[in-house]
Amino acid sequence: MPPIGVDEWVARSGERTEGHAGPLAPVLRRLERIPPWAWLAIAAGAAALFPLLTDSAFALRVGVNALLLAMLALGLNVVVGWAGLLDLGYIAFYGFGAYAFALVSSDQLGEDGVHLPAWISIPAIMVAAAVLGLLLGLPSRRLVGDYLAIVTLFFGQVFVELVVNLDRVRLPGADEPISLTGGPNGIPGVDPISVLGTEIITPRGYFYLLLVLTVLLMAGLHLLDRSRTGRAWRAVREDALAASFMTIPVNGVKLMAFAFGAAIAALAGSVFAAVQAGVFPQSFETPFLILIYAALILGGAGSIAGAVLGAVVVSVTLELLRDPDQASVLFYGVVLLTLVARLRPWKLLAAVLGATVALGLVTHGAAGAISPDLTAGEPALGGWTGGALDAWLVLPENAATAGNWAFVALVCGVLATTLLAPRLRPLAIVPLVYVAAFAWEARLVGQPAITRQLLLGALLVVMMTWRAHGLLGSRRVEVL
Amino acid sequence: MDFFVQQVVNGLTLGGVYALIALGYSLVYGVLKLLNFAHGDVYMVGAFIGFGVLTAFGGPASLAAPVPLVLLAMFVAAALGSGVLGVVIERFAYRPLRDATRIAPLITALGVSFFLQNAVLLLLGADVRTYDTSAFIPVTTAVDVGPLSISLVRILVIVAAAALMVALARLVGRTKLGRAMRAVAFDREAAQMMGVDIDRTIVATFFIGSALAGVAGVLVGLVFLQVSHLMGFIAGLKGFTAAVIGGIGSVPGAMLGGLLIGMAESFTAAYISSTFQNLIVFGILITVMLVRPVGLLGTPELNKV
Amino acid sequence: MLELSGVGLSFGGVRAVHDLDLAVEEGEIVSLIGPNGAGKTTVFNLITGVYGPQAGDIRFAGRSIAGLPPHRIAGRGLARTFQAIRLFLNMSVKENVLAATYGNTSAQPWQSILRTPKARREERDANAVAESALGFFGQRLAGYRWDQPAYSLSYANRRRLEIARAMATEPRMLLLDEPAAGMNPHETAEIAEVIGRLRDERGYTILVIEHDMHVVEGISDRVVALDHGKAIARGSFDQVATHPAVVEAYLGRGAASTKR
Repeated sequence: MPPIGVDEWVARSGERTEGHAGPLAPVLRRLERIPPWAWLAIAAGAAALFPLLTDSAFALRVGVNALLLAMLALGLNVVVGWAGLLDLGYIAFYGFGAYAFALVSSDQLGEDGVHLPAWISIPAIMVAAAVLGLLLGLPSRRLVGDYLAIVTLFFGQVFVELVVNLDRVRLPGADEPISLTGGPNGIPGVDPISVLGTEIITPRGYFYLLLVLTVLLMAGLHLLDRSRTGRAWRAVREDALAASFMTIPVNGVKLMAFAFGAAIAALAGSVFAAVQAGVFPQSFETPFLILIYAALILGGAGSIAGAVLGAVVVSVTLELLRDPDQASVLFYGVVLLTLVARLRPWKLLAAVLGATVALGLVTHGAAGAISPDLTAGEPALGGWTGGALDAWLVLPENAATAGNWAFVALVCGVLATTLLAPRLRPLAIVPLVYVAAFAWEARLVGQPAITRQLLLGALLVVMMTWRAHGLLGSRRVEVL
Repeated sequence: MDFFVQQVVNGLTLGGVYALIALGYSLVYGVLKLLNFAHGDVYMVGAFIGFGVLTAFGGPASLAAPVPLVLLAMFVAAALGSGVLGVVIERFAYRPLRDATRIAPLITALGVSFFLQNAVLLLLGADVRTYDTSAFIPVTTAVDVGPLSISLVRILVIVAAAALMVALARLVGRTKLGRAMRAVAFDREAAQMMGVDIDRTIVATFFIGSALAGVAGVLVGLVFLQVSHLMGFIAGLKGFTAAVIGGIGSVPGAMLGGLLIGMAESFTAAYISSTFQNLIVFGILITVMLVRPVGLLGTPELNKV
Repeated sequence: MLELSGVGLSFGGVRAVHDLDLAVEEGEIVSLIGPNGAGKTTVFNLITGVYGPQAGDIRFAGRSIAGLPPHRIAGRGLARTFQAIRLFLNMSVKENVLAATYGNTSAQPWQSILRTPKARREERDANAVAESALGFFGQRLAGYRWDQPAYSLSYANRRRLEIARAMATEPRMLLLDEPAAGMNPHETAEIAEVIGRLRDERGYTILVIEHDMHVVEGISDRVVALDHGKAIARGSFDQVATHPAVVEAYLGRGAASTKR
């Protein structure tokens, strides 16, 4: 809790000018002096090297997705992180951008379709999205954040429904209904984007395009943050009423945030349509919205770098979760990391780890003695770690049902552990780790799609209750 | 004419269900100023619990006990199960954020909702469950009102919803707990200073609101037969739309809002097309927000400067 | 400069302000006093646009401001502080003050991003205004303090920052709501001095709500006493302080006849 009402900041200013303590002090001080634009250049340079290091189209696709998510997180940051408005219909703007681009870059409309060049269509689409954002924001004028959340959530839902149902639109004067949005099947055959005459058709090409866009976006937003508009957004978030007394037109400022966020989402959507060479309504449903929020919250709402970092971490993590082997590495890695981070001193950590290993071996031995079927299953991990796990974990062949029970037990156990006194917690953690491993191997690892959703939901809850400002956000003081 | 009245009955049925969900939202919003997005998923869990009880008694086609007993068991189990779930959610997801920003608990609620949906998906699979009500409440059992015959199931739903709403109104208006809830809703600090146990009141509110949602889940299962892990999302959305339209924080408002939406949906589906149901409801929401932002029966929040 | 005529406002059945006439001439310091619940902050809220008057009119610099939204009224030159301090806690001292320059600048987002000459000039000017406002408080809000987050300021400094922020809107008139509330005698004296300087050095017209009679006595050109939403006495401090209706309002009926 940062000190309030005490000039402790002053008292500690000496500490600050001296800099940090410890062996890394000179390094940290140097790092602090690096201006933001230099950081951006370094990060951009590193990212630009990425496609040169790998030929895998898959890896490049992951990179493309990560950058798209980064752009979306940046846009959402303007609305949620800076202006403090809870927009739960944000993906609708992403979808709007994608569909609008598809409509003007494919055969969907009219005889041969409309095929506008991207440098014309995309800015126009962004403006249209901004207008749409303004319209959606208008009822928000008199609404407190919560009401806005409902209206926007509903809007997001209605958008998808509209898109799915606008495949039989009767235009006046036309004989037959036309398919405006392709209905549930979407619009295929979207043109690629051309830059300076060259068509971009490879993942590598789109990676670079998105990298350039993201860097420009980050720079632009940074400048905006330091300008009167950025200050106005933050003032409105802090105390809208006080801001209004200080000449800030609160409603207008909120609408501007909405419009900006919408335009950025539409930009991302347009590129997305080109990357996929098509648009499909399933891409714009609530699970993806949760993904964007998870990225922003993890990275730190209010921070430009945070939004991008969160997006990259979330994208990469989710990709890793697709493959059972890598997912298991991630799972056990996270469990171990959490234990290391939360159990101090070293002796306690060692004791807990030792006890967990012992518990496992004993249980495994006992179970094996009762019946070999009980340990017949194999963990998802290969190699010697897999072998070690196999000797440690009781895992029957078809353990799905048991895995379900373990999952429920895990959730209840984690919740209950938070209620325990800190001294008793290590006692509960030992069996809990075992149950977690069992739940993972028996059930979760076999259901990557569901597991990833569970992870996202849990991430949001855990982040908000534990570290609401995310990785790179700054801690906020709230006075209600 | 018959068709029209039929739609009215449909509207009342739907409206009753939405009102029950909306009441849960309104109650929680009243005491915590929080829109509990997970509420819709609590409703969904209630529907599943009801289905579970039905199966435990032998399944819709071969109930081992008299129908009224089974129904009662379903309602009670769903109410208790959902109620407890709601309390757990409050304790672990919302209580730590009680003094945080306005939007922090909302984001958490989103996470809880998503987690719940997928947990149910994981544990129970994606198959849609069917209550198959006609197997134990014959569809031909109907009450004749004039030229019209209303199926027993719908009557059951309407009556149950109405009874619960009346009970709730009495609770909020006449009991000590109800007074405590209203006090906490009005001014939490002052209520605390007057000796009201805030935590207990909030827990009780969550329990009641979630229990109502659970019962609503069973009712929906009975009438509309299908129960899936996704049903909470859209029902929840409409539930709090109803609460907001009627005036959030207001019990009669939630009822009115629920009724309004139920009727609107019913008539839209009948006279226009069911694809436009949600659009119309959205339109009503926007209109009410623009014309009367506090909701039809809501009271404006006084802004103390 | 500021003129309320026949202003009335009711909340439900309660008449918060009733048929109020109030005038503040340019360059004056007028104090608004009255027991708690007399309606003083409500008057401020009426003037600054939180509520629109249900009766009567409010004119500022010759033009009616009744019914205008708060940010418009602030743009006309009326700035205020609050009884309970309302700073932008998570923003730095300087940012708090800079934020208030919004109304006097007009650079659009695209201009800010491209750093057009206009945008840069406005930033410079806004910085100058902010620094001037902060500089008014001498060393209290100077130098390294500019980057301090507002939540870490001491209470007295917060009050000063609030005033500095109001000053940054480049107002013609300041409305100060209990500026000395919660201050020790030393700080109180300093605030009284600050208010005097605000008028003398910066030429603001000032309307103050204050409970501390020493402050009121020290700074006011005129005093207006309110009770139950009505003006019950006007005049110099001595005239109002000894007015029977005022004594009665503060101390009860018996006191009016036995006052010192």
